[in-house]
Amino acid sequence: MRQGIQGEMIRSELADVVGEEYISTEETDRLIYSTDWSWMPQMWLDRGERLATPDYIVHPASAEEISAILKIANTYRIPVIPWGGGSGTQGGTLPIYGGITVDTKRLDKIIAIDTQSLTVTAQAGINGAQLEWALNEHQLTLPHYPASANCATLGGYLAPRGSGTISTKYGKAEDMVLSMELVLPDGTIIRTPPVPNHASGPDFARLFLGSEGTFGIITEATMQIDYLPEVRLLHAVLFADLSNALEAGRRMMTRRLDPMVIRLYDPSSTASLVKEVLGYELEGVYMVIGFDGYEELATLQEQYAMEICLELGARDLGREPGERWWNHRYDFYFPPKSLQLPWMYGTVETLSTYNNLERIYHAKKQAIEETYAEWNARYIGHFSHWFHWGASLYDRFIIEQPPQDAHQALRLHNRIWTTAIRTSLEHGGMINEHHGVGLKLARYMRAQYGAAWPLLEAIKRTIDPNGIMNPGKLGFGIY
Amino acid sequence: MHILQPIATTENCRYCLMCRHVCPVGYVTRSETLSPHGWGLTIASVRRGLLQWNRETSEVLFSCADCGLCRAHCATDQPLPDAIAAAREEVVELKQAPPAVYRIEQALQQWSNPYTQQQPWPVKQRGDVALFVGDAALFLWPSALEAAQLLLSAAGVQPVLVGAGRNNGYLASSLGLRSTAEALAQANLEDLQASGAGRLLVLTPGDYYTFSRLYEDRLGIAWPREIELVELVPFLAGQLEAGALRLRRSEDTSPYAYCDPTHSARVPGRDRAPRRLLATVLGQPGLELFWRGERAHPAGDTALQFTQPELADQLTLARLQDAANHGAFMLISEDPGSLAHLNRHASRFALKIQGLYELLARHLA
Repeated sequence: MRQGIQGEMIRSELADVVGEEYISTEETDRLIYSTDWSWMPQMWLDRGERLATPDYIVHPASAEEISAILKIANTYRIPVIPWGGGSGTQGGTLPIYGGITVDTKRLDKIIAIDTQSLTVTAQAGINGAQLEWALNEHQLTLPHYPASANCATLGGYLAPRGSGTISTKYGKAEDMVLSMELVLPDGTIIRTPPVPNHASGPDFARLFLGSEGTFGIITEATMQIDYLPEVRLLHAVLFADLSNALEAGRRMMTRRLDPMVIRLYDPSSTASLVKEVLGYELEGVYMVIGFDGYEELATLQEQYAMEICLELGARDLGREPGERWWNHRYDFYFPPKSLQLPWMYGTVETLSTYNNLERIYHAKKQAIEETYAEWNARYIGHFSHWFHWGASLYDRFIIEQPPQDAHQALRLHNRIWTTAIRTSLEHGGMINEHHGVGLKLARYMRAQYGAAWPLLEAIKRTIDPNGIMNPGKLGFGIY
Repeated sequence: MHILQPIATTENCRYCLMCRHVCPVGYVTRSETLSPHGWGLTIASVRRGLLQWNRETSEVLFSCADCGLCRAHCATDQPLPDAIAAAREEVVELKQAPPAVYRIEQALQQWSNPYTQQQPWPVKQRGDVALFVGDAALFLWPSALEAAQLLLSAAGVQPVLVGAGRNNGYLASSLGLRSTAEALAQANLEDLQASGAGRLLVLTPGDYYTFSRLYEDRLGIAWPREIELVELVPFLAGQLEAGALRLRRSEDTSPYAYCDPTHSARVPGRDRAPRRLLATVLGQPGLELFWRGERAHPAGDTALQFTQPELADQLTLARLQDAANHGAFMLISEDPGSLAHLNRHASRFALKIQGLYELLARHLA
């Protein structure tokens, strides 16, 4: 905590920018903004331990105010932590070195909806669900449906390169963005080109996607949107084993059937989550497939997909279990249905090409369950974001009786993550598909990028010479 | 048992962000702290000794509007507003609540309402049907009561007035004044018993929620099974449909919007009835606000009007802004409390505030 005269002088300077009403150094605010949705800080507070807190929480209302805040931060070399909805799972918004938490939620205006080009331009702090409701009033949708939409912001969709439920058809958040306004660490406000698919030099805009606030703060974005579909057809099938289910998904994708969703639960998830949340007692691999758009087209696509599934031995469960999943797809994230303390858990998800996918799953399951057998570690997973060339494995470990001591618990948590991440990397996977890096995965970035890592470090030092932006995250450390 | 449920609820809600999008206080303040997750984590942190109840934390705790939107949108039905009310009880006992709470406690204990120094009316008659008046309809927006009586009379119903001038108990419960809330609830039930009615009509979804849920959930007072509880607006819509109530078309064609009253989210499915009545009289559907139906935000007529009047005003201004953004000239609602708050600031938005009951009563055929 920056205290004394200097602390007050900086506070006054920040208050001059945002107004006295929009700066806080209150104890309650500092505690609330000390944690995000990641297990580490939640567990820490749960065990009665104190976290590092921000010195100041500011609520700017414009890119200009953010620019002025960053200039102050550079003057005094104070860390700046951008904050959207606080729904990150990797500790990306933890103020581990104190500093200024910049809550962007006052930047919540929809600037324009272009019904001809099908784009929406909005400020980055707008809440995802509220943006979607506003688009729905025009029969439009931003087809990025993450489980965090109720709390996440538009900027939070983009900064960690998030994926939504129907990314298989519509792409990740990063695939929907046309252009952005950003505030660079030195306070310069820039705009990326108006369209992304040009040949006018390198696509520097993509540097900021996935930078998680280490290269600057996104303040506005123009996103591609879609018409609400005429129909959404959901269907569920049950496979006896994972291999055939994965093959069914691969065939649907490589034959370009264009499903909006393929959600494939491994046998453990089918027996636990699917039973607890949806109420189905099934043995095997539960798979939901969905198609949307014009009814005739979607029906035909679904018909081909079902042929593939049946050919590979699936049992047709019908529409109801598919629709039930769709209608309750976010229920998995409401406590007490969600994984929650005092349990230990981690989403160690990855992404790979089809040739590695099943190997990674089995290798990680074996590595985690055998290495941590004394803790009765469970490993569950589902395959959820599919591409022409591969898919993501959304896998998790669970320990129901972890150490009670916060330090011991975090060390065990980190060891399990290391096991999981190393196994992913050894088998051709990435350290992450859509949750981002934050603090949790920072230490694996060097291994992920190898000889290319210094290039990323050099870019960071060029863009942010004083190292004020979200220090300690993404593996950039402090300097 | 009574203490365990609030603890379990705040343990569930402290890190959950799934109702952030509907919280009206979070919406107007854009603060992480002033949101369901912020209140849950504050309470959980006090329990763990990471925070203490003091002026600052108490201010945070009493910033929840107790509007029920978080619970209405919770897939696991977490009663967070009840848990917050339980935490407020603790803070009240510690004498750490905002000073306004103790002033309101005194007023409710002495006068049974927070608005004026008048005692509630005694029940003078008996009848099959009673109408709960409450305090806001008598002291803040009396024309609603007169109009409601006219409409009921037109439908052939002559209700006995009960609870006239007495708060329904919600305010005291919301402020953590449990024993005061219990006393008000008992007095209202005694009124009802004295009336001999087998059916109680209520003017607002707030009254409906208080009698049907809050008494039992928060105060452990069961609603008498033999007394049917009916909200007046859906009742009137039913009478209209059955031909027992006849309304004529208004000549006013100015754009209007219906403002779902405070606590609407707590009464699922009630949003269609007022719209049907309005479309009959005004000849066209109204403009729809962004915050409508089961996601309708409250106006400032919750306990916030006493503990955090500026925040209450922000909620009211947001409702008015919503109407203005949609091009409405007239904003219509039936809740006397909501109407009084909306009316206080309406001129800033060039909006006319119109009571639903009064509008319908003027157009009785």
